[in-house]
Amino acid sequence: MMLRSSRATSTLEAGSPPGDDVLPGASRPSSSRPRTRRAKAGATAHGAEGVGTIERRRIPLRSRLRRDWPLLLLVLPALLQLAFFFYLPSAFSVIAFMDYSPYRPFWENPIIGFTYFQMLFQDPYFVSALINTLQFAGAQLLFVFPFSIMLALVVHGIMSTVLRSTFQSIVYLPYFFSWVLVVTIFLQVLGQDGLLSRWLVGIGAERLQIMNDPDTFMLLAWMQWTWKDAGWGMIIFLAALAAINPSLYEAAAADGANRWQRLWHITLPGIRPVIVLLLILQLGGILTVGFEQYQLQRQAVGWGTAEVLDTFVYYRTILASNGESIGTAAGLFKGVIGLLLILAANNVAHRLGEQGVYQRS
Amino acid sequence: MANDVKTSALRRRTVLRTGLLGSVCAAGLPLLSGCGEISGGEGSVQTLNAELDILPEYVEWPLPTQPDLVGEPPDHPSAYLTYPSPVPKAVPEPHGGSGTYRVYVPNWGPAMAKDDPYYDAMAEAMGGTRIEFVQNDPNAYTEASVQWIKAQEFGDAILLFSWMTGADANFDQTVVNRFANLSEVLAGDISQRWPLLAGRGDAAWAASVWAADPENPAETSGIYGIPWTLNGGPGNGFFYRADLLREAGLEVPTTVEELLEVARAWTDDPAGRWAIGGTDYMSRAWFRLAPGSGWIWDGSAMVHNNERSEFAEWVAFQRQIREEGLVHPSVGTPEFDGKALQRAGQVLLDQDGWARWTDMPAQVAATGENPDFDLDVLGPLTFEGREPMYHGAGGVAGWLFLSNQLEKEQIEEILDVANWCAAPSGTVEAEMITYGIEGEHFERGDDGRPQFTEAGIAAKQDSFAFTAMSGMVQNLLEGPAEMVQRRFDFHASVLPVLVKDQFENARVTAPAGASEAGTVFDEKVNDIISGRAELSSLEDAVAAWKADGGDATRAVYDEVRKTLEGQ
Repeated sequence: MMLRSSRATSTLEAGSPPGDDVLPGASRPSSSRPRTRRAKAGATAHGAEGVGTIERRRIPLRSRLRRDWPLLLLVLPALLQLAFFFYLPSAFSVIAFMDYSPYRPFWENPIIGFTYFQMLFQDPYFVSALINTLQFAGAQLLFVFPFSIMLALVVHGIMSTVLRSTFQSIVYLPYFFSWVLVVTIFLQVLGQDGLLSRWLVGIGAERLQIMNDPDTFMLLAWMQWTWKDAGWGMIIFLAALAAINPSLYEAAAADGANRWQRLWHITLPGIRPVIVLLLILQLGGILTVGFEQYQLQRQAVGWGTAEVLDTFVYYRTILASNGESIGTAAGLFKGVIGLLLILAANNVAHRLGEQGVYQRS
Repeated sequence: MANDVKTSALRRRTVLRTGLLGSVCAAGLPLLSGCGEISGGEGSVQTLNAELDILPEYVEWPLPTQPDLVGEPPDHPSAYLTYPSPVPKAVPEPHGGSGTYRVYVPNWGPAMAKDDPYYDAMAEAMGGTRIEFVQNDPNAYTEASVQWIKAQEFGDAILLFSWMTGADANFDQTVVNRFANLSEVLAGDISQRWPLLAGRGDAAWAASVWAADPENPAETSGIYGIPWTLNGGPGNGFFYRADLLREAGLEVPTTVEELLEVARAWTDDPAGRWAIGGTDYMSRAWFRLAPGSGWIWDGSAMVHNNERSEFAEWVAFQRQIREEGLVHPSVGTPEFDGKALQRAGQVLLDQDGWARWTDMPAQVAATGENPDFDLDVLGPLTFEGREPMYHGAGGVAGWLFLSNQLEKEQIEEILDVANWCAAPSGTVEAEMITYGIEGEHFERGDDGRPQFTEAGIAAKQDSFAFTAMSGMVQNLLEGPAEMVQRRFDFHASVLPVLVKDQFENARVTAPAGASEAGTVFDEKVNDIISGRAELSSLEDAVAAWKADGGDATRAVYDEVRKTLEGQ
């Protein structure tokens, strides 16, 4: 009994989701709470406060700078990089509201308001590109994202280190292939003149049409996403799985939990914060499903099937007059939708008790 | 020298006149309440037909070796059957220079190492100036170059083929804002310093003029590019494997109907053989569609290919050859490599530029892979007994644009290089540009002609570098005597049916929306050809194209016609 009890105590502490420092303390030993609070208080007030009290004192900026300058210096390169390569270029999004020409000084470009946005939304082909994009994004979310989790669970369950690392390498290496290579490999294997088609012709059957059939393009796209990206998604989940304390499994096994119960009560809750985080980030990029994959197969399956927002922007803006402004308008639209989705999903995550992409203030 | 090519001729000693056709063009976009106005979008045109005196004065540059076959340049170039010996120098005393310049070019062949001794040899031969080429993947070059140029990230110069300029909807603006105006150094008599450039002729230089202000061409026109090859004669060829056709006991087709019969007889899907490769740009002439812009004045109205009944026939033909499985399945995908497939005998007929006719047999002969290999070109095919037509190439094929950040002396130094590189076939300069260094990249055959060594094939053949610096002073056919004779004869045979773009002497910027409407229309046609949409949907596609930009463009071309006709 003593052994069981001590195991349960230690695993509960170890199993706390990272950053969740205010766990419901019903089953937690009382000694754990002050320790946690001390740590938090110490971070703000050098631990000067008494045990069990949280008192936030405002420290003057100069003192904080004197105290934290090595840390600030450490993050300075990252801040500069963000400033120059993200925030400064983002400021130029204002050209979406300008009658912009690269051939006159920036400040001489007249502001014209939302004209380009209206042009964009009134374009009949924009709507179909948007619908296609949402379909592809939905399919990625429903059929690729869970696949990565399943793959991670399978790999996590492999005991042999050699087999595990070999399988892991094979599965995630395609992530580093360019889309040109991926589509070429698919053509070589599944194309009308590919390996499988030649074999089929050899046995008197018809050639495969999957590479140029618009009706089955979603299936083809899914195969390509899965082959290329699912392995990479798996790596992130594997990292999360590795963070789960093995003694939790030992304790559960000792308590008689079977494989499925351990999966349901330990594994999935253990990686839940990562799942939620990635899900939110994926929602944020819902209108960015990629460019090359669709562009490369556009001719084969037709523009009606393969036109997504990024290819729309390419053909209707970058290669057309007034390209910079209307292209930026399309990019801003995507960004705003992505931001709203992230905020909404994060809010839902907070309501469900998850941390989301950032903590609630 | 009679030239009965059906095109509006460029008058000698004429230069560019620019006409702004804003008044006749559709206002670009409907203005929306609460929103500001977008400037431009009206469309404009510049025509080669006025009296500005900014061109270099034409001074004939006499060829050092007279051609064996004399044609009617530029549509029927003269030719060498024998290689000159000794090989003459076109520029015996190059103007010295010490600068180093970076030039952006597309490159289909091998990319030579930057420190290859070839570049040292070229710098020495040209008088000291060193050119470093930034060779790019040609597939992405067209679109990527639009952004490079706008961002002024193209080194000291960039080569753009004329067909590439359509990727930038406002190319006329780009030219005058990003490239150097060369008029100051090129106007007048330049035959002392740049005799080969002076011998290029008015047609090449006039096609290199843009106006900074289209409303005031008289005062703002300038030469903004060094003209590349001056086009002439049949633009491209539809090549066939004559040996495979003979082997199959089939006759050379002369009509579209015969072509279909030959294709049906030769295609063997299970054996991996499809008769037809690429046909899109060559087959249009078989249906008597117009080349280039696609606009023609039919005597009573301005009409575009898209709206003609012949276009519907062409679409039906393209759909038919795919439905019948006569086209190689990879046509239209990035995988399609017509050269390799035709060489391997998996494709019987394929379209390409003229280099294929000389290069592929030479490459096959060099490897000895197929002693029977015989590549020939089809003449103009006819459809339903109509008159034959062959599309001719006109204007200049491209320009080397110099950066407007260069100083006058630097521009002059680059023009020295361009003058050197304008040397015609059969000169030491052309040999070094095309074949490299004797003894390393090429050796002489029994007939004295350069032939690539293995090192030349690996490093130099098809590599696009100094070729970019200028078009040749005169285009001449050169190569193995038999091939030259065949090509010379072919050019002569199609001359009577050669048709060029009626508006080749006009540089038209389409009104706003027209470019997008054209892209959408092409996508719809592609759907029909591939069987993804019904043939009957073409009518709706044409109606949408007219409404979205086709009719607005028609008005622009109608004004161009009036301008060209002097109305």
